[in-house]
Amino acid sequence: MKCELYEELFTGWINKELSPEESGALERHIAGCANCREELQGLQQMWDAMGQIETPEPSANMGVKFYAMLDTYKESVKEQRSLWADIKYQVSRIWEWQPRWPMAYNLAMVVILVGAGYLFFGKSKSDDQDKQLKALSSQVHELKQTMMLALLENPSASERIRGVSYTSEIKHADKQVIDALLATLNNDPNVNVRLSTLDALTHLTGYPEVREGLIKSIVEQDSPLMQLAIADVMLKLQEKRSVKSFKELLKQKGLDNGVRDKIKQTITQLI
Amino acid sequence: MLKVKAGDLDRMGMLFERYNRQLYGFLFHMTYQRELSEDMVQQVFYKMLKYRHTFTGTGEYIHWMYSIARNVLKDHWRKNKQQVQHEGVEAAETMAGGLVPDEQFEKKQAKAELHRAMEKLSESQREILALSRFQELKCQEIAEILGMTEGTVKVRIHRAMQELKSIYVKMER
Repeated sequence: MKCELYEELFTGWINKELSPEESGALERHIAGCANCREELQGLQQMWDAMGQIETPEPSANMGVKFYAMLDTYKESVKEQRSLWADIKYQVSRIWEWQPRWPMAYNLAMVVILVGAGYLFFGKSKSDDQDKQLKALSSQVHELKQTMMLALLENPSASERIRGVSYTSEIKHADKQVIDALLATLNNDPNVNVRLSTLDALTHLTGYPEVREGLIKSIVEQDSPLMQLAIADVMLKLQEKRSVKSFKELLKQKGLDNGVRDKIKQTITQLI
Repeated sequence: MLKVKAGDLDRMGMLFERYNRQLYGFLFHMTYQRELSEDMVQQVFYKMLKYRHTFTGTGEYIHWMYSIARNVLKDHWRKNKQQVQHEGVEAAETMAGGLVPDEQFEKKQAKAELHRAMEKLSESQREILALSRFQELKCQEIAEILGMTEGTVKVRIHRAMQELKSIYVKMER
């Protein structure tokens, strides 16, 4: 059992690392222990034999490769650093050689030019757009007018009503349209068409010929519905010139009693 | 190495000149492949450059070098689990041609056998013998590299030697 304690010393022995005291102790032990002596001899032989195994030399290639690697590495490190330093240097230089006032002046000029350019081109652009838009809308306007006039000639009452309703979308009615509407108001066989025509004309009362036409139309209407509607419109417009026409209407025979009362009321309100 | 860490990369060339044989020898005894060992030396030096900031300077430079080399070896073994080819033995055997005198031939034969016995050791046993016998490091240094106590190193060397001897004896029979 004691022998195991010497195992550590064995290594030191063959390694030649033992202190004089340690080697002395081991020598004393192996002098009396054949087993350990044999073992130690065997190990020593082994150890010495291992010394015969030579370690090959690395090829010259290894050194070449190493220095190539070192150079590449140094380059990469330098590049990183120099790039950064370069940027810094350039930035600092800008302020050195470029006095600030001229630079500010330059900057101001750029801003002004850009602003002017924007205004100039922006404006002309919107002008162009306006022109185009106007041309387009006038075209649409004309188209609607033509369609309305055509529709008023249509034999179908509902088509004629549709034609009349287009006039509410026409902002600037010309004489042709007004004449057509007044003709429809007085002559259309269908009450509904005449009613919608009246409705359309009330939107155009800004035109004096429309007002005059409406006043003239009072005596032309034979339908109680139309007579009542016109009375309402006149009341709304506070058109005193219509009183004369209404009085004429009252003279007509076979006038509906309801209408008669309504017209009398209207006359009194207008006066 | 501390100068390398501070940015004087040319110093690495000095370290290479001083230690490349030692490192190569260690790696050769661990792999028995010349080219592979050379590649690994390259890898170790590259890692020392790349991770130079991790060198604290508290321990010896070569301990740090060995620990990096051991990591490189570990990586290699993990990636190449297949049987490693040992060219060292074959080279030793072909060198033992018929023209050499008998005595020398026997010596060569014995050496080749010992070589083969070394290969049969476990990696850790081969490592500790490589460090102690071939790198001729002191037990205390090995203890630092492997992170063991000196006593453990001594016992491990002893066990590895015993194992090597028994393998060798079996081969001779």
